[in-house]
Amino acid sequence: MFNFDNFKINLIRLILTLFIIFFTLIFFGISPFEVFESIIYGSLGSESKFIRTLIVWAPISLASLALIYTFSAGMWNIGIEGQIIMGAVGATFIARSFLGEYLISPYIQIIFAILFGGFWGLLSALLKVRGNVHEIFSGLGLDFVASGIVIFLIIGPWKRDGIASTGGTDLFHKSSWVPTIGTFNFPLMLILIILFLYLVSYVILNFTSLGIRLKSTGINVLATERFYFKSDRYIIFSYLIAGSIAGIAGFSQASGAYHKLVPSISGGFGFLSILIVLISSRNIYFSFILSFLFSILIVGGSQLQIRLGLDNTIIGIIQGTFVLSWLVLQRIKIENMIIQKISRIFFK
Amino acid sequence: MKIQIKNLSKSFGDLQANKNINLSLDSGIHALLGENGAGKSTFVKIISGQLTPDSGEIIINGKNIGLGSPKDSIKNGIGLLNQDPLDFSNLSILESFLVGINEKKPFRKIKIIKEKILDLFKIYGIDIELSTKASSLSIGERQQIELIRLLYNGAKLIILDEPTSAFSLDQKKRIFETLKKLSNEGIIIIFVSHKLDEIFEICETGSILKSGELIATITKPFDSKKILSTMFESAEFHKSHQKHLERVDKFKIIFSKNDLFNDHKSDLAQNYTVGSVIGIAGLQGSSNDKFIKNFFSNEFSKTRIIKEFGNPLKIENYYYMPADRLERGLFKDLNLLEHYALAFSAKKTFIDWKTIKQIAMNKISEFNIKSNLYNKLSELSGGNQQRVMLSLMPDIESVLLLEQPTRGLDYNSANKIWEMILERKNYDIAILFSSTDIDEIWEYSDIIFSVSGNKIMDISYKDNLTKESIIKFVSGLA
Repeated sequence: MFNFDNFKINLIRLILTLFIIFFTLIFFGISPFEVFESIIYGSLGSESKFIRTLIVWAPISLASLALIYTFSAGMWNIGIEGQIIMGAVGATFIARSFLGEYLISPYIQIIFAILFGGFWGLLSALLKVRGNVHEIFSGLGLDFVASGIVIFLIIGPWKRDGIASTGGTDLFHKSSWVPTIGTFNFPLMLILIILFLYLVSYVILNFTSLGIRLKSTGINVLATERFYFKSDRYIIFSYLIAGSIAGIAGFSQASGAYHKLVPSISGGFGFLSILIVLISSRNIYFSFILSFLFSILIVGGSQLQIRLGLDNTIIGIIQGTFVLSWLVLQRIKIENMIIQKISRIFFK
Repeated sequence: MKIQIKNLSKSFGDLQANKNINLSLDSGIHALLGENGAGKSTFVKIISGQLTPDSGEIIINGKNIGLGSPKDSIKNGIGLLNQDPLDFSNLSILESFLVGINEKKPFRKIKIIKEKILDLFKIYGIDIELSTKASSLSIGERQQIELIRLLYNGAKLIILDEPTSAFSLDQKKRIFETLKKLSNEGIIIIFVSHKLDEIFEICETGSILKSGELIATITKPFDSKKILSTMFESAEFHKSHQKHLERVDKFKIIFSKNDLFNDHKSDLAQNYTVGSVIGIAGLQGSSNDKFIKNFFSNEFSKTRIIKEFGNPLKIENYYYMPADRLERGLFKDLNLLEHYALAFSAKKTFIDWKTIKQIAMNKISEFNIKSNLYNKLSELSGGNQQRVMLSLMPDIESVLLLEQPTRGLDYNSANKIWEMILERKNYDIAILFSSTDIDEIWEYSDIIFSVSGNKIMDISYKDNLTKESIIKFVSGLA
C-alpha cells in the first residue's frame, strides 16, 4: 500500500543524496551544473535520446522487479545476471530459428526467454531448498556458467558466417527485433509489458496471501510452519518468477538493444538492480523511479566525454556516491528530523 | 563497602523509567522486585554503568562514582551477572578469563592467573577443568563461572538480573549456596527476580519498584500477600477455580513406546475428556517442549492424538505456540495487521484488508493487546507479543500446543494469559502446555505428564498426584 510518510522520507533522502553528489563533484574540480545538465541533455534531450534511455531502462526496471520477489522471500539472488543472460539465449534461439523471419518471432522469443530465465532461477532455488547450497554461491556459479554458455555459442554453433569472433552473432532478422512504432522507434510493446508486470506485481505483493507469505518467509523461515505453509514452496516460487522476469530483461537486451547476442549481453544491469532494490528497500514505486534515474545516468553519462571532455568513469563516481550516501543516510535516519523541522516552520 | 544511591531518575521520551530512587545498602542479599516494566532493568543498567541517568548520584564508600561508564563501575567493584551468560561460548574457561579480567598483560602471567582461578574454584566448590569450552557446560555452570570472574575482578557488589530463569533445580541450589557464601564474606548482592519463592529463600531485605518509583522496602520475614498487593495494584489474587468439565466426547493419545520410561504404561492411551488441560512438566533442558512440538511436526516420535468422534484431526486443527516468540513464533518486521492477514486470510487468494482490519481490531481489544495495527511485532513488549500469539489462535475447534506459555512474564501478565487460555476449555479438543514451573503445572492441569530427560516418567490425573511426586518424577526418580 502507498505509504505517504515513507515517500516523504525517500524524497528528502533523494535531495540530500544529490547534495552530497554535488559537493563530491566540486571536490574533483568539476562543475556539477555542467555535469547534471549534460547528463539530462544526453538522456532526455531529444526523442531518440529518450528512446535510448527507455531501452536501457527496460532491462534495469525488469531486473529490479524480479529482485523484489526474491528479496521479499529473503533470498540474495546474485544469480540475476545469469538469469538475464539465459533469457537472452532463449530469445536468440528463436530469432535464429526458422521463426526468426516471421513477425510472430518477438512473441515466441518472450516465451522462450521466460522459460530459459525461469529455469535458471529454478536451479538456484532447488540447490537452496533441496541441496542446502547458499543462494549467493549457487547464484554466482550459475552466472559464470551462463556467461560461459554465451561465449561458447558465439564462437561455436552460432558463430558469424566465416568468422568466429567475440563480437557477437549475426544481427537478427528485422522481424525478430522488438516491435516499435513511430519514426523514432518507440518500443511500445516493451513499455506495455513493464507497466503490466509492475501493476500485477503491485497487486500480488500487497493484496494477496501469496505476497504476504513471501514477505514472511523472508523474515522468519522458522515461524512459517506455524501458519500452515511451507517456506520452501515460496522460495522456489520467488525464484521462478524472478528468473522469468529477468528472462524478459534478457530478451529486451538481445532483441531491443543489440539485435544480436553478445558476450556481455546482461550489461551488468543485474548487479546494478541489486543496488537499486537495496536502496529502495524493496519498495515497488521507488524501484520503478530509481531504475529510471539510473538509466538516465548511464545514457547521459556517455555524453560527458563528447560534451565536456570528461572521462565517463565520472558516472561510476556519481553512481557510487549515490548508493553509498543513500545507505549511510538510511542508517542515520536524519530525514525524520528534517521533516519535523520543516513541519514546525510551515505548520505552526 | 557501602553503596548509596541518591535521587536517581531516568526517562526515555515520555516514559519515566526511574523516578527519584533512593537506596542504601551495606551488606546482605537484597531483592529487587517489580512487575514487567516497573523499571528494574533500567535501575540495574544505571548502577552497572550501561546507562547514564538524567539525574542523581551513586556514592560508594563516601565517594561519588562516574555515571554511565561501565569501566568506572567495574573499577569501583560493581559486577553484573546477566540473565544469559555473556561469555564466549567457543573459548575455554581459561581463555574467557584471560579476555575478561582486570590484569595488565594477562598472557605473561597465565600460570599465576590459573592458580588464582583454581583457588576461587576450590573455595566455591566448582570442579570443572579450565580447558573445558564454555559451550559444553550447562547454563548454570557458565553463570557460576561468570560469578567467579566477577569476584576475580574484585567485585564487592554483585547484581544478578533474573539469573535463575534458565536453571535446573540442582543448578539453582548450587548458585544459591555460592551466593550465601559470598554474602557471608561481606559482598553485597542485589537479586532481581519476580519469583517470590526464590526471594523468600535467600534474600534478607528487598525493595519493590512500581512504575519507576521505589514504593516499599521489605525485610524478613516476608508477607507474600502484602508484597503481591503492593507490586500489582488492581490484580485479583484469588486463583481461578477450575471449572468442572461437562463435556462428554473423548480423545486418545497413542504413545510411542520409545517415549515412555516404563513400557507397561503405554496402555495409558486412555480416553481423555475433550477440553482437558494437559501439563507436561519437566526441568530446564528436558524434552518437555519437544513433546509439545512433536504433536505439530511429528519429527521426533510417533506419539499422537486421535479423536474418537467427528472428522479426523488435520494439521489446521493444531495450534502450536513456541516458547521463543520472535525466533520461531512471529515475524518481527511484520506489523500486527499483517499477522492477522497471515492467520485469517490464508485460504483466500486475495486479502480483504477491510475485513482483516475488523478482525484485528476485535482481537486487539479481546486480548487486551497494547499496540496499534501498524506496530511491528519487534516493537511490542514480551507480554504483548505473547498475547498476539494467543490472539492468532484459529477460531475452529483446536488442539492447543503451548510451549511455556508464560515464560518471562510477571505474575499479573501470566494470570491474564491463563485466563485467556482457560476460556478455550469449553470448545477446544485439548490444551497441552509445557512448563518448568511445577506450580504452574499444578495450578492449571487436569492431567500431568512428568518428563525427565527424553522420557515420560509418569502420566496421571492431577487428583492422583501430589506436587512432591511431580518433583520426584521430573528429577528422574521413578
